Amino acid sequence: MTEASVSSFPAASGPNLATRRLRALLAEPKVTIGGGFILALIAIALFAPWIAPKNPLDQDLMLASLPPAGLASAEPGYYLGTDDLGRDVLSRLIYGARIALIVAFVAASLAALAGTALGLLAGWYRGWVDGLISRLVDIWMAFPPVLLSILLVAVLGAGVGSVIAAIAIIDWTRFCRVVRAETMAQAQADYVTAAHAIGFPPFHILMREILPNVVPALLALVSLEMGIAVIVEAILSFVGLSVSSDTPTWGGMIAEGRQFIHQTWWVFAAPLAALFATVLAFNQLGDGLRRALDPVLRR
Amino acid sequence: MIALAVLRRLLVALATLVGVAIVVFVLLRVVPGDPVAMMISPGASAADVAALRAHYGLDGSLLSQFAVWVRYALRGDFGTSISLHRDVLALLGERLPATLELATAALEFAVIVGGATAIAGAMARRTWAESVIDAVNGLLLAIPDFVWALALVLAFGVVWPLLPLTGRVNPSVAAGMATPFYFAESLARLRFDVFFDLLKHLALPTLALGLPLAAVIARVLKGALNEAMAQDYVLLARLKGMSELRLVLQEALRNAIGPTLALTGVQFTFLIGGTVIIERIFAYPGIGNMAIEAVINRDLPLIQGLVLVFAVIFILINIAVDLLVALFNPRLRHA
Amino acid sequence: MMEVTRRQTLALGAGAFLTDLLAAGAVRAAGKDTLTIAYNVNLPSFDPTDGPSAVNPTIQAIYRSIFDQYIGQAPDLALKPGILTAWGWNDDKTKLWMDVRPDVKWHDGSPLTPEDVVWSLERAGAKDSANPISFIWSTAGNYKIDGNRITADAIRFEPTFFMWMAFLTGYVLPKAYYEKVGAEGFEKKPIGSGPYMVDEYQGNAFLRLKANPHYWGDKPAFETVIFKFVPDATTRVAEIESGSSDITLEVPYEEFDRLKKVKGLSGVATPISDIGMIFITNKEPMLDKNVRLAAIMAIDKKAIVDRLLHGYGVPIETLETSEYSAFDPSIKTPYDPKKAAELLAASGYSPQKPVKFTIQTTRGFKPKDYEMIQAIVGMWRKVGIEADIEVYEIAKHFELRTTHKLAPAAFYNWGDAIGDPTTSTGFAMFGPSPHSAWKSDDLDAKIGPLWGEKDEKKRIDGWKAVDAYIAEQGYVIPLLQYVQPILYKSDLKVTPNKSGALQPTLVSPAA
Repeated sequence: MTEASVSSFPAASGPNLATRRLRALLAEPKVTIGGGFILALIAIALFAPWIAPKNPLDQDLMLASLPPAGLASAEPGYYLGTDDLGRDVLSRLIYGARIALIVAFVAASLAALAGTALGLLAGWYRGWVDGLISRLVDIWMAFPPVLLSILLVAVLGAGVGSVIAAIAIIDWTRFCRVVRAETMAQAQADYVTAAHAIGFPPFHILMREILPNVVPALLALVSLEMGIAVIVEAILSFVGLSVSSDTPTWGGMIAEGRQFIHQTWWVFAAPLAALFATVLAFNQLGDGLRRALDPVLRR
Repeated sequence: MIALAVLRRLLVALATLVGVAIVVFVLLRVVPGDPVAMMISPGASAADVAALRAHYGLDGSLLSQFAVWVRYALRGDFGTSISLHRDVLALLGERLPATLELATAALEFAVIVGGATAIAGAMARRTWAESVIDAVNGLLLAIPDFVWALALVLAFGVVWPLLPLTGRVNPSVAAGMATPFYFAESLARLRFDVFFDLLKHLALPTLALGLPLAAVIARVLKGALNEAMAQDYVLLARLKGMSELRLVLQEALRNAIGPTLALTGVQFTFLIGGTVIIERIFAYPGIGNMAIEAVINRDLPLIQGLVLVFAVIFILINIAVDLLVALFNPRLRHA
Repeated sequence: MMEVTRRQTLALGAGAFLTDLLAAGAVRAAGKDTLTIAYNVNLPSFDPTDGPSAVNPTIQAIYRSIFDQYIGQAPDLALKPGILTAWGWNDDKTKLWMDVRPDVKWHDGSPLTPEDVVWSLERAGAKDSANPISFIWSTAGNYKIDGNRITADAIRFEPTFFMWMAFLTGYVLPKAYYEKVGAEGFEKKPIGSGPYMVDEYQGNAFLRLKANPHYWGDKPAFETVIFKFVPDATTRVAEIESGSSDITLEVPYEEFDRLKKVKGLSGVATPISDIGMIFITNKEPMLDKNVRLAAIMAIDKKAIVDRLLHGYGVPIETLETSEYSAFDPSIKTPYDPKKAAELLAASGYSPQKPVKFTIQTTRGFKPKDYEMIQAIVGMWRKVGIEADIEVYEIAKHFELRTTHKLAPAAFYNWGDAIGDPTTSTGFAMFGPSPHSAWKSDDLDAKIGPLWGEKDEKKRIDGWKAVDAYIAEQGYVIPLLQYVQPILYKSDLKVTPNKSGALQPTLVSPAA
């Protein structure tokens, strides 16, 4: 079934649109570099069992606190050294990428999904629907996020699921606000009036005409949210509330490594660098997406 | 007309507060970890436990507990902290000023540093200097406040022990402060020793909180400035022979400040939220530090009070930002 | 071998630089008459007899500075006269008596009288008392005052009654003052009779004390004592390393090893009356004695202490440490992974087909708690036990324990600063106690009669037999006795306290 579209955004329609947007994206270095890094990280996370040189959980108290390769008394095979339990830092870092990415993608998607749905409804139907949703957003945003996430994880119990839920529950408002404003703006556009005139049902207009035009702003926001999710996971791990059991996480590694910074600085530095690079990549990607997809900024 | 708008705004704020109160109340009652369980002594019987629970008013149904809480809250009585044995409102009154001082300092720092960076960047449009500023700023945007805090403890605690790491004021200096507003009081009473001691203690947590906000302000303001600099009226002013610095400061800044303010307001509320973890790391005696301990101890009345205070701050900031944006909006002003 | 190379790396790094830097930092943080302590917990409340902070062993150091206990306790845990100069039971243990020190003054200068003592005891034991230990205090009543002697009836014989007078909530509070200002007023301006008086207090920040000129005991060594509340261990390390504080405690052992060698700093680490243990809950698969015993035998406690805790810990075989009165060195639970594997095999388990259960632990609540459990799970894995680690907060632990919902294995620490078996094995293992995890009739039948045993020798021997039975049945996994690291400036002299309370009165300028 082919979908009729009267969208005049951006200036042309048809199959060309997707290709053109893609080309615009690839021309943006922030997208290629940031996105490239994230893709590489995804590959590392996916193939962790084959890439990681050691089992991240294997402890060997006889091989504890080894420095990274290249330093005095380093052991071959432990490229980033070991921590105080004799676990391989590089392998833990690689497996930690899994948690970081799972949290980033799932939490950001969930937040985006919920926020977009409510934002579309509020922006489209206005009136009491908008009033209700906007009040809810107001209430939600008035909570201090760190405190709320600590409380939520305390309610739900530690674990990846709880962290994801906490982030999604807290951060859907960001998406809701943007999508609502964007929907309201789009609803005034000529192509929507045209769609009304043609006689498309309202829900069709909302989903088929307006939503695709909201997506560019949304994509950038999702990417930024992923960076935020990585940080929140780290903060929760740091407070000791994130993922339980043996699973290595960057935040947990930072918290563990911090205590022994003078003895084993690499246990602290390695996850910090990974966290930093990942957040940076998500930020740059989001930035690039916004630039490449936003016709106003693209001038 | 304006009075009506303000009234409406206040009513909405009140409704938000009520909503926050309900959500936090329900949330707290489903948190596992019973405050009473932590106090049970070895050898206590079931009756002892029930007595303790009644002692802290935790024995009724959810609805009746909420009704009791609302009734007292309306009279300004937010209950007694379970772990600190003090009136919640009095505790908040003592601790809030410390957090406000910290947040204000961080905001000032962020506005000055972020603003200066943005103006420098706008001045250096399309030069290598702009690329450097952009690149550094991009890096700074990826460093969250708690990472800054960890780095600063290491840098100033160990490598370069120059600044105090913990607390709000040196215990031997702080003697005899009558109000919890140390900054204002030290200035009013010309106690400059206290004033500078406060500044020294504020330095590190302010940096940790302020740097990420400075990076945000720098980016948004620079973007807005660059956009404004491309506008016709700026071109016109330039043709008239206005210097670049005056162009940026007088013409562009005026038009760029509105959107920046709106975003700074949102970010500032995040900064307030960030005090929770930063105060913990620097052992700073504000409400954030108290909040973590309240959660650990499941101090329900205190958590309720704390969340409400955070919510009030949030709402006030938003109202203030709206007013400021309206003030700076040239279209509204000239209308 | 490893150790040496690690130190060499260190020396090459920041170590030398820091040593030079800190040599200048050896001056007292705030003048000669002041002692600044970077303390690991915040003081939540000044009332030492009310609420959760009253039973927090760490805070007792502060309470003992401001208040006096009924009976004092020396750093080696021995009881010594406090507000009471003498005390005891009558022959058939139906009455108690105590003599009140005559020349004691409250911080406001008013005299401390036997009325204060009786009021404090009655308040602690009252029916509606918020005192968490009221079940002990309520065992005596009908107090009578005759001069400086107080007599009372034993409502129920409680062998540890006087020991508790030197332990949690065993403090004398000022009757007249408290009744005048009320609970809220007392929190604002507390007075006691201890060696130090409250000068200024900022929650979560600091507590400044000044010496009590009326104090009945030895004059304190410092005119001013400042407790800085620094819950973050890394920040505490920075506090002592930068010279901002004079003394601190509970720092990571690696940091302790590093800093005690720094010029101008000294360190002392002694075992305290705090143990690490794993509760076993009487549910599957722990109902199988083979599994319990294998879980105990597979743990190499010595390796954990040596490698993970850098030697700072004492492996224990029962819940009694060598300082406790019911310590029995003949009870052994040796490390024997081969035997553990055999026992598991007898129940049909092997590393290929392991027995599975969950172990709960705190993380960062005690030094290396989580790491220790990770190491133990690693040791278990080798013999055929696959344990899943679940991290919980301490609040959750308490709730789960009182509702008997802990996982089959749950790590916790247990403090017993009076060293009596009732407060170690007793409350941890007796079924009806809300604090026990293993609840079974065979054990309760052995413990039950000991609670009110009036013959002290028979009582202690009875507890030793209980400990031996528990070890034989594998009802709990004792791990180790903690060692408390204290770092301080070298111009100080510190007497370590077995109870773990770092009291300012135990610190003095080095001669």
